[in-house]
Amino acid sequence: MSDSLAIYLTLGWRNLWRHPLRTALTAGALAVGIAALTFLSAMNDGWMQQIKTNFALTVTGHVQIHAKGFEQSRKLAQRIEDPAAVIAAVRHVPGVALIDRRVRVSGLASSAGASGGAQIYGVQPRLEARMSRLASFVDKGRWLTDKDNHGVVLGDGLANSLEVGLGDKIVLMAAMPDGDIASEVFRVRGLMHSGVMDIDDLLAVVPLKSAQRWLGLGRAVTDIVVRAAGFEAVAPLAAQMRRILHGKGLEVLSWIQIDPMAEQWAEFADAYTWIVLAVVILVVLAEVLNTMLMSMHERVREFGLMGALGVMPVQMFAMVVWETVLLVALGSLLGFALGGGASWWFGDKGIDLSHYASAFSFMYMDPIVHPLLRAQSVAEILGAAVFGAMVAGLYPAWLASRLEPAQALREV
Amino acid sequence: MALIEVHELHKHYASGAIAAQALNGVNLSIERGDFSVLAGRSGSGKTTLLNMIGTLDRPDDGTLVVADHDVLAMTVAERADFRLRHIGFVFQAYNLIRVLSARENVAYVLQLQGMPAKQRLAEADRLLAEVGLQGFEDRRPDQMSGGQQQRVAVARALISNPDIVLADEPTANLDSHTGEALLALMRHLNEEHGVTFLVASHDPGVIAAGRQLYRMDDGRIVSREDR
Repeated sequence: MSDSLAIYLTLGWRNLWRHPLRTALTAGALAVGIAALTFLSAMNDGWMQQIKTNFALTVTGHVQIHAKGFEQSRKLAQRIEDPAAVIAAVRHVPGVALIDRRVRVSGLASSAGASGGAQIYGVQPRLEARMSRLASFVDKGRWLTDKDNHGVVLGDGLANSLEVGLGDKIVLMAAMPDGDIASEVFRVRGLMHSGVMDIDDLLAVVPLKSAQRWLGLGRAVTDIVVRAAGFEAVAPLAAQMRRILHGKGLEVLSWIQIDPMAEQWAEFADAYTWIVLAVVILVVLAEVLNTMLMSMHERVREFGLMGALGVMPVQMFAMVVWETVLLVALGSLLGFALGGGASWWFGDKGIDLSHYASAFSFMYMDPIVHPLLRAQSVAEILGAAVFGAMVAGLYPAWLASRLEPAQALREV
Repeated sequence: MALIEVHELHKHYASGAIAAQALNGVNLSIERGDFSVLAGRSGSGKTTLLNMIGTLDRPDDGTLVVADHDVLAMTVAERADFRLRHIGFVFQAYNLIRVLSARENVAYVLQLQGMPAKQRLAEADRLLAEVGLQGFEDRRPDQMSGGQQQRVAVARALISNPDIVLADEPTANLDSHTGEALLALMRHLNEEHGVTFLVASHDPGVIAAGRQLYRMDDGRIVSREDR
């Protein structure tokens, strides 16, 4: 540490404790603000992480590979004829945790008494239970097994509209690749409730082999679904897969490209947090500014004395800024310890908001939130506080640097 | 050339409709090794003149040369640096930085000059001993008497080995015994170490101690007496 910085810090720290109560109150107010911001930010990050995870892993997966144009057309004419070859080509891309295949088609579901539109998913039951959350949504009956050739799991809203229950038969109809309509009978093995309307009111899940046979697909699928080791792995993983599959008539889409809604929620939540952060920082820094102005006015004579001794205006300026930074650092560290500690504690235990949050399950929220302390959020909050301190300290520092020693020494 | 040359120095202050002529054509010459006293009633211009010589304030007119430097041609930063290297100050009160110990107060000037910590603290201890404050090095101002604080201020004024020490009413806040002790210390430093002092005071003891006595009235030096 340079000698001049050492004296700024020594003087700044000791000056803060000239009025311990005032310093404690100001630092305390700052600490409460920073603690609240840290905890709020951790709640938000935890929530958003949960939403992103739930959103991506409810059905979509982190990355999907389709025949080029399928995501737009949703027609079986655009399909992957040899999924095993594609999977073999991308299986060892770093960051791949799991690869699954599906058939996805829009169709019609009919029972003896009613009919309605359905999104039909052909899945590999055991693998799908590890890939997505669909199996976990089954609250009546059971999830499919590899032996369920004619079993179907329905969203409970779809089952209600078809007026069917466990063990009942339904007929699924969909267009084959050549445009002909094919139908197949399935028996209801389970009912899902997710809180997500697109799942509960539309989804019919059948075994992959049954869907391939019924729709005349052979070994072809519409989706190869990839689960990545984490969200941070998604972008590089997708990029490498695009390079590997370039020129093969395939498209590689990340979960954000398939449906940007969750990412937009996260961006909205970030913007909201920044607004709250700005308001809290402004209020608290007004208090810091007030404290520093009071402190400065009490020490006008001392500033005059320092000026007389040969302290340069720029040194006077730096001294007051450093004093402000120390005050804010004190409050910020205390606040971070409180807010970070609470986030860490509840991050492990979780906060049960089921009384409030069950209505938001359609937004992929879990009722128990685990606050998540992200280094980036902490750096943003502390950075904003220190930046604010510099700004709050500028005016008193400028006043101190402008004092004429002779005039300042006359102050009582 | 004299250490300080003041020629036809003028200064007036205005506050709203009220104006005061603080200096009205002051001429003064101080030699190295002098122990000079500016005497005069309150408002006669003593402090204003000290402030001008100490580069704490600027005159409206006149010339002022201190230690061969035309201080009126200097910028704000140059004047601060000049004070740091050439002038020591002892004020009437509130002389010390409250949050620093006696040692730190004295060493502060050397720190501003960039002297390494070990060397400047040793120098501060030596000067505190010189002014009779051995054992008081770690005390803060509020743990010392007024006389002790003024001794610390004298030590601080001397530590950079300045060309001149300017003292403004240094005994005004002290009891007579403490004031006499401080005056004796300043005289000792002047006589034994050749330190130049210019002291503004209306204390009869200080006035009697001056080897050059300048009497001021209405912003002018009205008499000079060499003893």
